[in-house]
Amino acid sequence: MARARAEQQPATGTTLIVLVGLSIAFLLFMAFLNVVKSGSILNESNMLYAALIFYAGAGALYLGFGVTATDSYIKFASLATWAGLVANTLAVAHRWYEAGHPPFASIYEMLLSFVWTLAALTLIAEKRYGVKVIGTVTMPVAIVGVVLMQLLRTEVHPLVPALQSTWLHVHVTLAMLAYAACALSFALAMMFLIQDKMRTESFLAATSMFTVGIYAAVLSRFERWGGLNVVAWDAENKSEVFISRGVRLFVTIPDLGWMMLLVFAAVAAPLVLYVVFRLKKNDHFLAIANRAVFISILLQILALVFFLLRARDGQYPSLDAEGLYQTSLAASPFILSALVGGIFANLLYLLLLWRRPDLERHLPDADALDRITYKTICIAFPLLTLMIAAGAYWANRAWGSYWNWDPKETWAAITWLVYAGYLHMRITRGWRGRRAAYFAILGFAVVMFTFFGVTYLLPGLHAYA
Amino acid sequence: MALSLRSVSRKTWLTLSSIKTGVILIILVGIFSIAGTVILQRPMTDADDMQRAYSPTMLRFLDAAGLTDVFHTYWFIALLVLVSLCIVAASIQRFPNSWRFFARPYKSPDEHFRKALPTQAQIPISDEEDGLSAAERALKHLGLRSERIVHTSSFSLFSERNRISEMAVYMVHASLLLIFLGYGVVDALYGWRGFLVLNPGTASNQIELKNGATRTLPFSIRCDGTGEETYTDGTPKRWWSKLAVIDNGSEVQRKEIVVNDPLVYEGVRFYQASWGQTGKLDQLVLSATPAKGAIGPPKKISLAPNQTVALDADTSVQLAEFIPDYVVQDGNVYSRSNDVLNPAVHLIVTSKKDTRSVNVWLPEIPGVGENASSPYIFEPKDLTPEVFTGLQVSHEPGQWSVWAGVILMAIGLTFVFYVSHVRFWAVPVRNGNGQLALWVGGTANRNRDAFEERFKNLVEQIKKELKPTGVASAQAQATTTTGR
Repeated sequence: MARARAEQQPATGTTLIVLVGLSIAFLLFMAFLNVVKSGSILNESNMLYAALIFYAGAGALYLGFGVTATDSYIKFASLATWAGLVANTLAVAHRWYEAGHPPFASIYEMLLSFVWTLAALTLIAEKRYGVKVIGTVTMPVAIVGVVLMQLLRTEVHPLVPALQSTWLHVHVTLAMLAYAACALSFALAMMFLIQDKMRTESFLAATSMFTVGIYAAVLSRFERWGGLNVVAWDAENKSEVFISRGVRLFVTIPDLGWMMLLVFAAVAAPLVLYVVFRLKKNDHFLAIANRAVFISILLQILALVFFLLRARDGQYPSLDAEGLYQTSLAASPFILSALVGGIFANLLYLLLLWRRPDLERHLPDADALDRITYKTICIAFPLLTLMIAAGAYWANRAWGSYWNWDPKETWAAITWLVYAGYLHMRITRGWRGRRAAYFAILGFAVVMFTFFGVTYLLPGLHAYA
Repeated sequence: MALSLRSVSRKTWLTLSSIKTGVILIILVGIFSIAGTVILQRPMTDADDMQRAYSPTMLRFLDAAGLTDVFHTYWFIALLVLVSLCIVAASIQRFPNSWRFFARPYKSPDEHFRKALPTQAQIPISDEEDGLSAAERALKHLGLRSERIVHTSSFSLFSERNRISEMAVYMVHASLLLIFLGYGVVDALYGWRGFLVLNPGTASNQIELKNGATRTLPFSIRCDGTGEETYTDGTPKRWWSKLAVIDNGSEVQRKEIVVNDPLVYEGVRFYQASWGQTGKLDQLVLSATPAKGAIGPPKKISLAPNQTVALDADTSVQLAEFIPDYVVQDGNVYSRSNDVLNPAVHLIVTSKKDTRSVNVWLPEIPGVGENASSPYIFEPKDLTPEVFTGLQVSHEPGQWSVWAGVILMAIGLTFVFYVSHVRFWAVPVRNGNGQLALWVGGTANRNRDAFEERFKNLVEQIKKELKPTGVASAQAQATTTTGR
């Protein structure tokens, strides 16, 4: 729909829509494969599929609104989000009914709840605070979440003894609410920076650095045979109650290293060109940098396709042990979400580059965004505090100590410290505007690391999810 | 060197209480905590794994710097102590001001204050008393009680709500100190953690502590049974242990503990932590049939380790050895593991008649067992492996301080973020033209947007309350000025 309407728009807008349309079509295809596999119609994965379609539609419409500034897009986008939320709720309910416990036990179930909270908060932000284009940022995140779920293990795992506690639900509900509020504050801080007349090329620099960081992290697992190492885990080891450290196996997927290296060069190019532009003060380099971003997106999508095709249910030799090991995409959600996240970050930059005046017209003014960002953090911080406290109380009942300095605990405390720092600077030092926005962005980065990074990079007692 | 002791201590005090120091300390705590999650930590990692992960030089350096156990090094603890001191200093520095504000509310605004207050309005009135009572009614309408302040020759109004919110920050800071006190002081000095392994039927009061030492409890714990339930796919569903506390020779408490539901006695907590087989045998059930001569029904006997049971008047059998996972090498029997995977038992059959012992192995191991010359043929029927329950034992007297801190923090944060101290004043004044007007002003310490809205409502309400008297209606052209 968005595609058809966009045809009357200038060339740049159409290109973007085609790009988004293609990636959505691809993602839908991936999900479709999953639906075909599972026979019955009225089940959770089909509900999720429906949610994905609606969220994707909403995301496309929000983007379309950003591009063409057609007000009716927003109405349909909200409708699509509502429909997606209903489907998502049904999926959550089905999961809850089938598992007999609220869906917080595995990374799959956590994502299910996270996406639900995100969609609900998006609608609240839109209706209550009038931040209409927030969906441009949150819907892609929701789509990534749902797509990740399609690829993760979905069987209902019985709860191991340590997880059989009411405190689990309290702890995880609080965590999801807090993280969703942090995500919202991040989106609002980004919008603030746009309204605060931050220069577009600064966003170019930030986006490029983010993407370069992603591929540098992916490549740091790049090993001797030119293969890409994917973090996999042995499913057997997850059932133990006391895991002092998760057992991980590094599995190489041959023939992908060169591809990642190529993409790394492609995403580094805009950054290099930006630096040259700053040194020579020649706008010509900036124009090339923007073109380089476009090329890098195409290459990133190509890399993602290669990665999905190679990693899907293959058997690969391991570096640490003899024999062949089964790999599935479930084994590397970290890399997968990093690749998808990089693509979306760059797409959002293109949107900003091409349609900035329209975006600015539809966003609330900078002051209002600054205040709403602060308000969302005022909600997030007490939730974070209670989440940590509930976790400590539960740990005291399950592991015999309320604080173990386990990586996840420590990182939760670091997140808390970052936001505590933000509040102190804001309340006592009167930090407003840019500095506060940077702080909110930093806070969300730490939250994301605590949520994903710690789980896959620094395993500890929290090895369940 | 003109620095006197006084000025040095004053400088230290100012540095300690500044927000900058606080933020720098927070950043330092953050950096070292990150180091503690990225570098493998000794308390959670096997020594072998540490050696595999780092080169010897690297490991020596990390150990020397305390980076392999960041959270228990003296400098990390010192850092936390500094943070606490900083919180205390900053609170003391700011508290007197807040306290004055809290204890002696500013009730009658003077002219300077009235001029500088950002949120204010002037409503023309004809009579001081009319204006004040209208304001009183308007405040009441908004759910606020007001207070008449008596001046030498006139009255003014003061009204407020949630004054306690001014103290909320100190509540949050105090709660952090309570948490530090509980975790860092009480538990660090008086708390301990250890492990206790029990077999069903045994009792113990010896706790093996984390550092390898042993702690003797003034009471003992007896295990009356333990077990595991699994899901159909074999993953554990539930581990349980029936425990009894024995104090002064008598049983004082009994509880079946499971993961997430510990037993607590005199501040010592016993958690279900692990469960497994010891690799020993609890009981073996055999059937014995005489090899020759009188053929009777097979005899059913049960044996515990090292127990001897008579088979007939002359012959007895002893359970000499139990091998949980046997393997034969060079004519000897070894066990590969402590899991009962491939069990073998060694029986000694003794006959009084010829004072001869026969070694019987089940299953028969050629070259080792002498099964053929045994007067009885044995057949294993049932085997109960000995199990153990692993209990995590901890004594954390500081946790109550921690929970109190958590609750206080929740209350404090609620006040900090969601409860706003609102104040209103109403003073009859003469404006520049000499006309009588009611000056109305207000402030809130947070959520100013909502407050402005509220203030506008109040002004409207006062005007409404003034109208019915009819006196002021002629000059109802109020001049309202509001700003940030």
